[in-house]
Formats: sequence, structure tokens, C-alpha cells
Amino acid sequence: MDAVKALPTNPQNYPAPVWRLFNETPLVGDFPPGVPDVWVAEVRTPAARAVLRLALRCEGSKIADARFRAYGCPVCIAVGAWIAQWSVGRTLSELAALQAVDLQLALEIPEDRIHCALLGEDVLKALLARLKETSRHEHPTH
Amino acid sequence: MNSPASVVLSPLPDDAGNAIIYLDYAATTPLDPRVLEAMLPYLQGADDPALRWANPASTHGPGLRAREGVERARAQVAALIGAEPREIIWTSGATESNNLAIKGAIEFNRAPGRPIHIITSRAEHKCVLDSCRYLETQGVAVTYLKPGADGRVMPQQVLDAITPDTALVSLMWVNNEIGAVQAVTELAPRLRERGIQFHVDAVQAAGKLAINLQDTPIDLLSVSAHKLYGPKGVGALFVRRWPRARLAPQMHGGGHEQGMRSGTLATHQIVGMGAAFALAAREWTIEMPRLTALRERLWDRLRGLPEVLRNGPQDPSACAPHILNISFAGVDGESLRAALPSLAVSSGSACSSATAEPSYVLRALGRGDALADASLRFSLGRGSDADTIDCAAGQVVDSVQRLRELSPLWTP
Repeated sequence: MDAVKALPTNPQNYPAPVWRLFNETPLVGDFPPGVPDVWVAEVRTPAARAVLRLALRCEGSKIADARFRAYGCPVCIAVGAWIAQWSVGRTLSELAALQAVDLQLALEIPEDRIHCALLGEDVLKALLARLKETSRHEHPTH
Repeated sequence: MNSPASVVLSPLPDDAGNAIIYLDYAATTPLDPRVLEAMLPYLQGADDPALRWANPASTHGPGLRAREGVERARAQVAALIGAEPREIIWTSGATESNNLAIKGAIEFNRAPGRPIHIITSRAEHKCVLDSCRYLETQGVAVTYLKPGADGRVMPQQVLDAITPDTALVSLMWVNNEIGAVQAVTELAPRLRERGIQFHVDAVQAAGKLAINLQDTPIDLLSVSAHKLYGPKGVGALFVRRWPRARLAPQMHGGGHEQGMRSGTLATHQIVGMGAAFALAAREWTIEMPRLTALRERLWDRLRGLPEVLRNGPQDPSACAPHILNISFAGVDGESLRAALPSLAVSSGSACSSATAEPSYVLRALGRGDALADASLRFSLGRGSDADTIDCAAGQVVDSVQRLRELSPLWTP
């Protein structure tokens, strides 16, 4: 059995799910060029103090794999990591139903960081809109 | 590279027992055990016949014993800065010293109906800026000079800003955020020639740089104990006797401290400050070259990263030995701080943490908000050695690289 890596102490008291994902950051990166059925979206807050990029690889109507990149506070980074992890194996309609409040609950995001959850909802919306737009003819069922 | 005072252990454990590397000595320093030892007789000892905890203003025997401790400390503080003991006025710390110097000097020198003017810089400590802003509400004109890109105000800038109404110039000797050493020794005689009072906030300079007020005609100079391994809650203001610098008191009461600062003296704190300054006087010529070498060692390790900027003078000789301030492009400041849980350093927002805004000092130097926020101030002290510096540098390099790899904006 693999040893569970202990998280560092959390002196600033970030919510536990945020702290875990900020430190572990699964699924960071991009898909290599040429990988088929990959859709990418990037959103940012005004003045680009937080930027979130999400890349999803689809197989049929399901998400087969995901990657993310984030620039911003630990909550913003955790939102990107959570969405990427959660997306894998989900359907596009499940993705479309995810809202900021779901992210807020899952990551215990405090009210003063709600903009990070909204950024997460925005990146999913942007990606789904792009996917619908570019794959209308190839994937009419989307 | 052993510290001359091998009394401060580092790294220190946090609440969970993890090692913390403390590199925030410009914020505060631990109490030196030798200082604590000097203080204890002035706090304890109900059975001690000397009763040194008595009120130093009392004229009975125990009061006089307490008074001896206060006066010994006054001489110790004066000795570190080349002053006379009677030129030292006790305060509760540097914030009070700066308030007393600026507001006291202006109030004393102000004549009804006559304009009066102060010159300071935008990179001063908040307590200087806020004292000046308060005086502006009382009709005082203030010029806030913009420091150059290296954080220093050129003496000619000050001289050019003088008006017939200028009564006071207030500048810090060493900038607390970036360590820039201001040319106060060059400026002081030129202000004296013009009859303008000169106040210097020397909180980060005392015990770090040579200060000799017999040679340097500064009129008012603020110092603090807790930046120099003394206790918190005590400081002092040097008030020159000749030519006499006069102040209107800001604390009214029993006429203590030559009428300039009323209030029962905190004997144990004052004795601690004296002991701390005496230790600094004995050790600084050895300690400062050691810290300078460690500071440059840290910079050498961090500059291996691309796009890191050293804030302050690029000439190491124009920086205080113990401060290094670095901006890291391409990372968010809050995430950088969160990624370094084992490192006690100040951030670009630390000195205005109540507002959590990027440092106004770094912004005054022309750094943008994002870069100012993604800055760390490392300040070194007696517990710093080559091992802690290398370990801290390694943590910073790893964290910056990790956050840049995470970022969609970073292009290597």
C-alpha cells in the first residue's frame, strides 16, 4: 500500500479540501498537440488576477480525461483541480449542471472567495459553449 | 558562520512540531536570554532587599535602585548611537517616537497664522505617513518625495523641495521593506546649514549600521527595542540638546522625561532595551558582515530562477545587511505565501496587512500591483546561518517553479 503523503501545516487555515488540492494539484497541464476530441477554455477575472484554463478530452458524450492550469490564489487553483478531477467520467450534461454553489459546497469556499467558484462555473460554461459551437456537425447529439 | 550570540535557535518548531525557518527579523526579534536575565530583577523579587521593581520616580531607596537601572539603560542606548544619555527620551516604541518627533516638533515650532511645511518620502513607515497626514488636516503642508527605482531619496531632491516654510524633514535611515540605506549622513549637515530640523526613523539602522550622532547633525532619531533582541513595547527618541530640538509633548501628565513624555517608566522594559543595545554595540561589527554574506548567499540562490527582481539598491553596499526583498514574476502572491508554510517571511503586503493591499513602498518604486504582491522580504538575524538560508532558498525555488508550472500565463 502506498504511504499517504502528509500535507504541510496550514497556517493560513484554508478550508481542508482547498488545502489538499492546492498541495496535491492533480491533472495539471495541457494535452499534447494532435490529441483528438480535446476542447479548451480559459477564463479570467478583471485585471487577470485569476486565470483558469480547462482542457477536456471527450469520448462520445463522456469526459475521458482532463487537464487544468490556474494562476491565482490557492482557492482558485483548488477549483481548477477539483473540476478537472470531477469531470473525468462525467457526461456533458452533468458538466452543464455544475454551478458555483456546488463548488462552494464541495470545497468549503468562504463567501469572500465566491469569485473563485464563479470562475470555475465560468470555465465550464465557456468550454461547453465552445464544444457545442465547434462540434455541432460532428457531434449532433451534444 | 556561527553567530556571535549563539542563543537563538533556528529552525523553530511550529504548533504541529514542524520546523519553521524564521526570516522575519525586521518585523521583530526574539528576546535574547541575556536581556531577559537583565530584566527579571526589575519584575520579580519581593524578597530582594533592593526592590528594583519599585517606581523609578519614587525618591525612597528602592525607587532609586529602579532609577539606576533606567539611567544605566539610557547610557547604553545613547552609547550605541553616539548620543548623550540625557538626549534619550523613553517611549512605548518607534511608532510613538515617530509621532512625538513629527507632531511634537511641528506643534512646538508652529506660530499662529504662519504656514509650516514638512518634507518626507512616500516610502516611509505608516506611522510617519499617518502622522504627516494628520498634520495636513491641521493645515500643515507636506511634500511626499518619490524615491528612485532603488528606493532611495537623493539629498538634492530634499534640498529642491525646501520652501521658506520648511520646518522639518523626516526620512528613515534604512527602509524597513527593501533595506535601502538613505543618505542621511550626507543630508544632515545641509539641513543644519538651513536651520531645518531633521528627524530620522532609525529602527532598522540601529545596531546594523554605524550611527554617531556626535558627528551627524540629526535632531531627532527614533529607535525600538524589539528589532534588536529586546522586549516589545519600549522605544526611545533621541532629542538633541545642542542645538536644542524642542518638542510639544504628546502625552501629558506627571512631567516625566523632561516633560516630553509623561507616564510611569516601564523599568523592566527599559532595562531590557538597554541590555539589548549594549549587546548590539558589542557584537554588531562581527554580526553585520556575517549577515551581509548570508544575504548575498540567499540572493545568489534565488537569482538562479528566471524573472526575479531584487527590490532596492542593486549595489549591495547601499543595502542594510539584514534585508533582501525579491519580486517573483508569474506567481500569485497569496499562493506563493501559502506554498511556503514552513517559512516565516514577510510578504509584499505585510507592512500594510491590515488592508491586505500590495506594499505601497514597492508601488512607490514603480512595481505593478501583481509584482508588488508577489514579493517576499527576507530579513536575517542571529538565528540565521548558511544551512537555514540554503533550506529557505530551496523551498522558495521549488514553490515558485511549481506555481509557474501551474500557471496558464507562464511561458518558460
